[in-house]
Amino acid sequence: MNSTVMKKTLYLFALPALVFYLLFWIFPIGKLFQYSVTDFNGYAQTFNYIGFDNFRDLFQGGTLGNSIRNTLIYTVVSVVAGNLIGLGLALLLNMNIRGKGFYRSISYIPTLFSAIVVGFIWSYVYMPDSGMIAAFLTKLGIPSDNLNFLGSYSTALYSIIFVEIWKNVGTTMIIFLAGLQTVPNDLLEAGRIDGCGPFKLLRYVKLPLLATSITINTTLSLINGLKAFDFPFIMTNGGPGTSTNTLIYSIYKMAFTEQMFGKASALGIISFLIIIVITAVAVLLMNRKEVSA
Amino acid sequence: MSSGAFTGKMLEQEPARHTRKSGKAARWLKSGLVQFVVIAIMVLNLIPLVIVLSTSLRSPDNNTNPLNLFNELSFSSYRDAFERMHFGSAFMNSVVLTGISVVLVVILAAMASYPMARIQSKWSQFLYLFFLAGLVVPGQMVLIPIVQMINNMGIPSTKYTPILMFVTCSLPFSTFLYTGFIRSGVPVEVEEAAHIDGAGLLRRFWTVVFPLLIPVTVSVIITQGIWIWNDYFFNMTFISKAADSPLPLAMLGFMGDQQNPTQWNVLFAACMLCALPLLIAFSFLQKYFVGGLTVGSVKG
Repeated sequence: MNSTVMKKTLYLFALPALVFYLLFWIFPIGKLFQYSVTDFNGYAQTFNYIGFDNFRDLFQGGTLGNSIRNTLIYTVVSVVAGNLIGLGLALLLNMNIRGKGFYRSISYIPTLFSAIVVGFIWSYVYMPDSGMIAAFLTKLGIPSDNLNFLGSYSTALYSIIFVEIWKNVGTTMIIFLAGLQTVPNDLLEAGRIDGCGPFKLLRYVKLPLLATSITINTTLSLINGLKAFDFPFIMTNGGPGTSTNTLIYSIYKMAFTEQMFGKASALGIISFLIIIVITAVAVLLMNRKEVSA
Repeated sequence: MSSGAFTGKMLEQEPARHTRKSGKAARWLKSGLVQFVVIAIMVLNLIPLVIVLSTSLRSPDNNTNPLNLFNELSFSSYRDAFERMHFGSAFMNSVVLTGISVVLVVILAAMASYPMARIQSKWSQFLYLFFLAGLVVPGQMVLIPIVQMINNMGIPSTKYTPILMFVTCSLPFSTFLYTGFIRSGVPVEVEEAAHIDGAGLLRRFWTVVFPLLIPVTVSVIITQGIWIWNDYFFNMTFISKAADSPLPLAMLGFMGDQQNPTQWNVLFAACMLCALPLLIAFSFLQKYFVGGLTVGSVKG
């Protein structure tokens, strides 16, 4: 069954998927490298090779640094806060409480909404004067005139990160819950007999056994954060100013609204490298941790 | 040894008897507190959706504060939204797009994973990582050359064009799930009988292996189906005709309305209409939604 002929025919099974993958995923990345050294504008059929001018422009301009900074903040906050909230929710809904099945289901609901709908809903929540938060505060008699979550430089980015967390926390929670269900009861019992309080049980028994869930959740939200696009696009258009410009949103804007395909491709290459390096380092670190835990 | 354990248990029970009464009260208090915390979190978490639901149930000209929950029950905003987003055709477009994409993903990913899981060689390991690496590539980046490429290849921009991207984009995660599942859950031995009967590889795969992959197929259908159903981005790029728009793209027509309070009733009705199909599917197939999400993560 392991003859070489067999092996070769078996590889044919991967062919259809490989054709799609090479044609629509890998080949375009190659093209991106080519465009990154041209002044291609997306429409004219002819373009000139201009060497590394695009890269030089990017490193000298402010867009690159600003987008990297915003993307890193977006990623770190959504990974850390998203996982902590998801874990907390999972621990809470793993306790013996009435109606926990119902609570689990409804916590999952935001995950089912399209990003565009979520963006619309939260634009309403954050809106000054008549939005949900402002109206609440007015009802409570707290002045809310200066409140402009999406319109102020200091809060816009964190406001959309919160939306990202809100949308994804259901998935994170479900994966943690599945992990918690694999924690054997007699191990918890043994821990209790040895005098572990709830905190020590969490730290020394549950968390090490949740290593796989933590790795999965962290990796998923890390990739999600580094690729952040939806909420800057739907809710803020990268603004105010450039305060919510993420890398991917900057690429999109550069290519499709400013018609600078060449420069956008160069930014794409840089983003691609950043995403790959950060993801690879994180995965390697977590794998090592997971083995030793 | 057994008697030692026995006395140990006895000793433990002794102090417990003293504090039983106060212990019970404390436990009541604790569980009440936990229940309260959970409910508070749920309310905070879902209040935006409750307000959206309540506002959507008002007639379009009711401009009272949305915080006055459910002060009117009317479906006229729904009627407006229904017409404005061409719900009927948008829904059918979504069904067709998602349906075809998911079927293709299942067939392609399951088949591709079979050699990656069965063959132990450098090449199959490379192929596995090669597909997996696609996870980190953002679709928006790939799109710059894709638009150009699709034009050059003469692929017409129809309502089916996004399927190409949906399928490709889904392959990394789906092959990851399938390969992991076949490696750990489908031993080669199950194929032996078919092998002895002389069944060809293709038949062996579809009649023996594939039926055993149902749990992970459900997982692929749900994880990929949800994002494809909800995607607006690839649709926005390739679909230009309103009649071809699936639901999320039809929502794009409401862009800007969220800044105008007089439009909220209809906008929120549209939001609810857009989310409704998945909400209904979730309420009936909850077990599969939750199970499908965790198949990959536990085996991982």
